Amino acid sequence: MNYMKVILISGRTVEQGTSLEISKTSEEYSNNVAMIMMNENDMKEIGVKEGENVEVNTKFGSAVVRCKESKIDHGIAFMPYGPWVNMVIGADTQGTGMPDSKGVEAEILTTDKDVLRIANVITHIKGIK
Amino acid sequence: MIYKNIVCPLCGCLCDDIEVVTENGRVADVKNACTFSKSKFLNHAKDRAKPRIKKNGKLVEVPIEEALDEAAEVLKKADFPLIYGLSSTETDAQRLAVELAELIGASIDNTSSVCHGPTIQAAQDCGAAKCTLGEVKNRADLVIFWGCNPAEAHIKHATRYSITPRGLYTESGKKGREIVHIDVRETKTSKMANIFVKVKPGQDYELLSAFRAVLKGYDGGDVAGVPSETIKQLAEKMKSCKFGVIFFGLGLTMTGGKHMNVDAALRLVRDLNDHTKFAIIPMRGHYNVSGANDVMTWCTGYPYAVNFSKGYPVYNPGEFSAVDILARRECDATLIIASDPVAHFPAQASKHLAKIPTIVIDPKVSLTSLIAKIVIPSAIAGIECDGTAYRMDGIPLRLKKVIDSEFSPDREILKRIIEKVKA
Repeated sequence: MNYMKVILISGRTVEQGTSLEISKTSEEYSNNVAMIMMNENDMKEIGVKEGENVEVNTKFGSAVVRCKESKIDHGIAFMPYGPWVNMVIGADTQGTGMPDSKGVEAEILTTDKDVLRIANVITHIKGIK
Repeated sequence: MIYKNIVCPLCGCLCDDIEVVTENGRVADVKNACTFSKSKFLNHAKDRAKPRIKKNGKLVEVPIEEALDEAAEVLKKADFPLIYGLSSTETDAQRLAVELAELIGASIDNTSSVCHGPTIQAAQDCGAAKCTLGEVKNRADLVIFWGCNPAEAHIKHATRYSITPRGLYTESGKKGREIVHIDVRETKTSKMANIFVKVKPGQDYELLSAFRAVLKGYDGGDVAGVPSETIKQLAEKMKSCKFGVIFFGLGLTMTGGKHMNVDAALRLVRDLNDHTKFAIIPMRGHYNVSGANDVMTWCTGYPYAVNFSKGYPVYNPGEFSAVDILARRECDATLIIASDPVAHFPAQASKHLAKIPTIVIDPKVSLTSLIAKIVIPSAIAGIECDGTAYRMDGIPLRLKKVIDSEFSPDREILKRIIEKVKA
């Protein structure tokens, strides 16, 4: 199993913003939000192809999302705002009120696990100790 | 029915040129709108919330009166209630949420704590040289987008205010403006800019400080992955423009340094005013998050993260901000209004919402409503009820009603809950 360390950034995308206005329980929302964008060479290094799933691990948690090729720099990965990226972002705000939602150190691995559907995301959140 | 000059209730641009066509009580068409706005107007009737209460572990539909009674009971009994959200509703509802917070001794916070809260902290530290979007349209000849991506988040910003519009002293539109994009990654916004500068992740503070140093006559060499020559050339452009503006986003507030990054940006703009006219505007996300800060400030003296447990307002981000209260598992009940923390808070914080009685007031089925104990549906402000919202530059605009709704506005729901708590 190959893996790679990246700096993870979360943010807005047109598709995320448009589909959340339709319904957050829709397939469209899950498809547009449960994903990670990486550079072509980084994807080759891990051994993952466009559309395949990867596991994103940080010291705060883990999430499985679909991988999409992007022109982003080597060593940086991007995930749209939403519940999947929030599984790997910590809640400590260092007294500011604002979590570290951009610039989190993460490890990306190939995986044969499935992306959690929205109902399972809710179950996952409820189950966090 | 055709409604013209409708204000869009989507993002902080509050575009006021939307045309809405209604037929048979539904929005049939929307003109002049961006893709987000279109999606909000055209899908306003989809996936609507229903009044529900959790009974025996399951959310079951109940009459609205029962949901309101139960909500009032939960809030009355709570020792440390939290009220959170507010940014996607109109100002009257925001004012009533503050009234309710005072009444029950709650903490009250709006979504700025996870967007431009650090911007507010920085402005409290050193002030901010601001201007309106109208001034940008009519005067700006240098526009810098820093750590933001309006091409994907504030889609009509470029054509209405900052890049292409022709104004009083900007008759040649885009040709007369220099557009600079500074970010950690190339995005669709970079393609709209004349110059794109890539800063290393987490080093915005260093680059902002390098510009300030160059303006003062120092040369710090290459900084944050940006060559010394580029820094000097850009600093010269900033000094020599007639009217410059920096628009900045969560690229500064969500990365390490947070308010200190914004502090450096505000001080750079202050320094630039020794040479020319320069202003700075945060790219506010939710259409009325700016209003949430203004309303909370004129009601309590503070813009967000306020606690009423002593009977008077106490302000402290990090202590009374929602993520922190939830992560420390301090609150024993929550009222979430016009926001969806389960979708947008770290899971480590939102898990607590599932463990305590959570009340959700929202027009739609949100992820937070799926873990709530009580769900109260409401009308969508700016589509199904009127109200006031504040644009990202602090200009208030009137939202209009274009569709009759079976649901009550947030302000009516909050009024009823306040009456029931008082009873």
